[in-house]
Amino acid sequence: MKRRALLLSAGALAATGRMARAAEDVVIGVVYPLTGNGAAVGLDAKAAYEVAVDIVNGTHAPIPMLMGQGGGLAKLGGAKIKLVFADSQNDPQKARAEAERLITQEKAVAILGSYTSATGATISQVTERYEVPYLAADNSSPSLHQRGLKWFFRTSPHDEMFTQGMFDFFRDIGAKTGRKAKTVALFYEDSIFGSDSSNVQRKLAQAAGMEVVADIKYRAASPSLSTEAQKLKSANADVILPSSYTSDAILIMKSMNDIGYKPKAMMAQAAGFQESAFLAGAGALAEGVMSRSSFALDATKSRPAITPVNTLYKAHNNKDMNDNTSREITALLTLADAINRAGSAKPEAIRQALVATDVPGDQTIMPWKGIKFDASGQNTLGTPVMQQVSGGIYRTVWPFELAVMEANWLV
Amino acid sequence: MPVAEILQVAAGGLLMGLIYALVAAGLSLIFGLMDVVNFAHGELMMLAMYAVFAIWQLTGADPLLLLPVVAVLLFGLGMAIYRGLIARALSVQFNRGMVQIFVTFGLAIFIRGAAQFVWGGEFRSVTGHWLADRSLNLGGVFLPLPQVAASLVCLAAFAGLLMVSRTEFGKALEATREDRDAVALIGIDRDRIFAMGWGLGAGAVGIAGVMLAGFYYVGPNVGASFAVIAYVTVALGGFGSMLGALVAGVLIGEVEAFTAALWEPSLKQVGVFAVYLLVLTFRPRGLFGKM
Repeated sequence: MKRRALLLSAGALAATGRMARAAEDVVIGVVYPLTGNGAAVGLDAKAAYEVAVDIVNGTHAPIPMLMGQGGGLAKLGGAKIKLVFADSQNDPQKARAEAERLITQEKAVAILGSYTSATGATISQVTERYEVPYLAADNSSPSLHQRGLKWFFRTSPHDEMFTQGMFDFFRDIGAKTGRKAKTVALFYEDSIFGSDSSNVQRKLAQAAGMEVVADIKYRAASPSLSTEAQKLKSANADVILPSSYTSDAILIMKSMNDIGYKPKAMMAQAAGFQESAFLAGAGALAEGVMSRSSFALDATKSRPAITPVNTLYKAHNNKDMNDNTSREITALLTLADAINRAGSAKPEAIRQALVATDVPGDQTIMPWKGIKFDASGQNTLGTPVMQQVSGGIYRTVWPFELAVMEANWLV
Repeated sequence: MPVAEILQVAAGGLLMGLIYALVAAGLSLIFGLMDVVNFAHGELMMLAMYAVFAIWQLTGADPLLLLPVVAVLLFGLGMAIYRGLIARALSVQFNRGMVQIFVTFGLAIFIRGAAQFVWGGEFRSVTGHWLADRSLNLGGVFLPLPQVAASLVCLAAFAGLLMVSRTEFGKALEATREDRDAVALIGIDRDRIFAMGWGLGAGAVGIAGVMLAGFYYVGPNVGASFAVIAYVTVALGGFGSMLGALVAGVLIGEVEAFTAALWEPSLKQVGVFAVYLLVLTFRPRGLFGKM
């Protein structure tokens, strides 16, 4: 394990260096927050991409999925993918500058990114201008693919699809248990992620005939969320719908507990709530919290590639794959497959191959129906799952056919 | 709003405000003493939090028990920063003001980077100590025990700072603040006073960090959001005034809490800065600042 980690990190070191290796290497730029507030997620993403590129480039036993056979890009004479990482510091302007540098200086033929939707928005403007594909692995704001961009692709479901899944779950669990959720409280940070997420939730709550009893937009990374917790307590909704990153997710759980408030149900727009730091930081307070997810680590039966990929990832980063890292690995494999099918490292050829992508779900590690982009570049087959924390880990509770346990529904 | 809710919001503001006050006290002390704004102040707090986390992880010791250890560590670190960096920055002949700013600013970035290098970018939490996640219920108004403990320690730290100011050393500190050149003539070792001032300032923010670690997440950037509030607190209370830091800290905690409660939570800092602007307009030296 040690040796493998060493090899991988040596590979990463070589990949970030400026010296070009063999001429046929295909350079892909990767923009994430590697320092600053989003660094925890960004560094996990870096590890995920390193594992994924190792799967594509390396020699190993075949993994039953897209690009799982290894040995580089077959149709480019076994060319290797070389990743160049750039640090956005979670700042949209720095993300823009770094994307530009990757394209012009590092000669990246495609860009992968970028965790937060705010940075994804600026990166995709740059890639559109330079006519290079941007593949959004984990940006989830619906507005991103609605801007008529030609070079934007997103494998991940977006927050509208995720949120639709949440309300479908509320309907299904209500019918099953006879306890329908009638009120919701929105709790979201003041960013493109928070406002897009809450806009969809407001709309779908209305469509589902549920009343929004609290609508709380809060300042991200504030020292205190005690007043916000008090507002949630006063509203006492059937379901709280938070859209927050890790630090705020930990803080709001503690702040609600501080004032003696245990919500009946919480359904998170993933993000910080899906991080292991959240589960560790909130501890027992996280029990029963639900979250949408695009990934189900426990769906190993229908997705045989999960176990081998997770083993590789765990050896490299000492933790299990999660909602974010699984989507990042999937994005890189999708891009590698498109480059391979294009048989060329020219951006236009890659774009056309991405447009033609049609991957069945069982060829991925995701519980999705598959990967197929519509005219706006959005994957239409990415179907979400709902999970609930039980015994300190997230377990899939919906769709019922993928569930590994009954949802603990206290509404 | 029902009375219980108003009291709950006020309690939240007070408990947070006392933490703000102690963070600001250290900053104010150093500024008042030698006109140096320490931009790495939030990072010193972050280091104290990591120290608690690291020792707790190794030994399982309760954060409260670590209070004296970490306070002494931070005191030493503060003195070391003065001797190693600040004293040199003060001795330059050219553009001294800018050099001081860049030295502490650079130090802040260095400490943040070092923390990420050593502990990673992950958010950490100190869990399972004897006050963790427990609250006192006073007729519907809840007081979280880790924060109550933090507030009491903050008040004790202020009392301690007040007592220090009554001692011989405190008088030397005050004299150095008044006229840093004249004190040399009466045999006060100015360099030593400055170093002790940095030690006290870092120790104070260290105590705040220890208490904060009992109920707050730890990460390389945790100091940043507290530091911004600390700068406002110092300016509001008056540069160099301990009482000012205490009153201003509580005031800011309350303004923040009630802006969030009555208006929009996302705009709570607007309330804080509005009060700050008002004070600057009508009383530029701050509430308790000396001319």
